[in-house]
Amino acid sequence: MAFVNLTNVTYKYPLTQTPALQNINLRVEEGEFVALIGPNGAGKSTLCYTLAGFVPHFFKGELTGSVEVAGMQTNQSSLHEWVLNAGLVFQNPFNQISGAKYTVFEEIAFGLENIGVPRDEMKVRVEEAMRLTGISDLADRSPYSLSGGQQQRVALTSILVMQPKVLVLDEPTSQLDPIGTREVFGVIRTMAERGMTVIMAEHKVEWIANFADRVIALHEGQILLDGTPREVLTSDILLDKGFGISRYTSVARRARTLGLWKREGLPVTLEEAAEGFKNA
Amino acid sequence: MNDRLSFYRKRNSPVHALNPFTKLILVSALIFYGLTAKGFWTATLMVAFVLLPLALASKLLKEYVGVALKVILPTAGFMFVMQSVFIPGGTTEIFRLGFISVELETVQRSYLIASRIFLFISAFVLLLLTTHPSELMSDLTRRGLPPQFAYVIISTLQIIPQMQAKAQTIIAAQRSRGLDTESSFFKRAGLLVPLVGPLVFGSLVEVEERAIAIEARGFTSTRTKTFLHDIPDTPADKFIRWTLTLFIIISLAARLWLS
Ligand SMILES: Nc1ncnc2c1ncn2[C@@H]1O[C@H](COP(=O)(O)OP(=O)(O)OP(=O)(O)O)[C@@H](O)[C@H]1O
Ligand SMILES: [Mg+2]
Repeated sequence: MAFVNLTNVTYKYPLTQTPALQNINLRVEEGEFVALIGPNGAGKSTLCYTLAGFVPHFFKGELTGSVEVAGMQTNQSSLHEWVLNAGLVFQNPFNQISGAKYTVFEEIAFGLENIGVPRDEMKVRVEEAMRLTGISDLADRSPYSLSGGQQQRVALTSILVMQPKVLVLDEPTSQLDPIGTREVFGVIRTMAERGMTVIMAEHKVEWIANFADRVIALHEGQILLDGTPREVLTSDILLDKGFGISRYTSVARRARTLGLWKREGLPVTLEEAAEGFKNA
Repeated sequence: MNDRLSFYRKRNSPVHALNPFTKLILVSALIFYGLTAKGFWTATLMVAFVLLPLALASKLLKEYVGVALKVILPTAGFMFVMQSVFIPGGTTEIFRLGFISVELETVQRSYLIASRIFLFISAFVLLLLTTHPSELMSDLTRRGLPPQFAYVIISTLQIIPQMQAKAQTIIAAQRSRGLDTESSFFKRAGLLVPLVGPLVFGSLVEVEERAIAIEARGFTSTRTKTFLHDIPDTPADKFIRWTLTLFIIISLAARLWLS
């Protein structure tokens, strides 16, 4: 039995006709880093909400099939218990600030207060989590005074401190500048290297190619492709469907039709492209 | 952006060391007494002989006087003048300006009301200056206030400056698209309609996202909450609270008895 197990998951938002997710079957092993890609409206966010228990506990509607993490099922558990199974970080860093706390340290402790962690343990866990994500120096700042990248790392730390079994991220860098993006991806990579199971919706394909173990392409609520980053990100199947495609892949694909790309597979990153063209 | 979104000023003082609930009771007792006492000068004397010494003891005299002069005095002063001039009803005319006559009785009544408002606001200002809002809320939650209630209060306190900043951004954006926000009031009022959409609709989406964010942090957990800050509640605190409560009860009883 895999760590994360989705079996025949179909979901419709309330008052909608077409399902946002259709017959999703997905198994993720412990420690795997899976990236979800897909055009707008493909169902990436919906899948993230489903993994994190917000479908069906927060968004009502019609869910069939089963969602299982570490042997527990979402529909047999309450949302506030489920947050210890799967932690969710989403796009807008500002809206993830609780608004109830005056310092970053307090903000990160908020979740632990809610689940009743004793004070001494709470402090140790908050400090440790901040060290891990490299934000110890922000401890006494107001969460509102931070840059987007810093706020998103605070949001990430606030979830990590609760020690969820799976980390679910919905385009965590889509509203950040390049510096913020690098900071946040740095933290996510650290977590993945420490063996955390990570499922991340993301459209920055070059980052995915560098980080993820596996990529799943979603299209109109269904899984279109599931494989290694190279297989999926360079597949011709993604063409003309609105997927984000690496410009290096596009260049090499074009070069291939002109006989200028001689390698078997197509590149995703600048390095691979440079390498491929050098030997051409 | 402003790093300090609360009134709170940290000091090492006996007032700061009081339990937040004790301070809330203290402020409530002061206000209750000030608003119900019959004496004409009671509220004024309480400001001078209770609030000022408390501000001094909190090592915040300068801050307190600053707020009092810049915010509270103009507010109370404005009400005093308006009521003195426009509310009729007295018999002893002090002076007359055209059709407006100012009577001694109205002036006295207006002063009484203004001095009570002054007391009311400044007692709260003192509470906010000496009490960290999240400690007050943690303490009240621990005493049984529903966490949702505490959350709404404290996030509202924090969100006001955020909303102002956002309105500024939207205005700037609309103006750059040609919206005139600088001409006459009525023209502006009509033209500001485009501002309402983004502010309200944006807020609804934000409310949903924020609800998700705090749910993700176990806000509705049924476990007994714990608190990061240890908020001391000493025997002295309990003594002060009981004394104040008793004092209020006795003064109420005395008033009922004597009337
Ligand atoms: N709250 C909602 N109520 C009704 N329908 C919704 C809701 N949220 C999303 N949908 C619909 O569900 C489908 C999947 O949306 P979803 O937000 O999961 O896509 P996405 O892949 O995250 O897109 P994006 O790249 O824009 O973030 C879309 O057709 C969308 O219109
Ligand atoms: Mg989305």
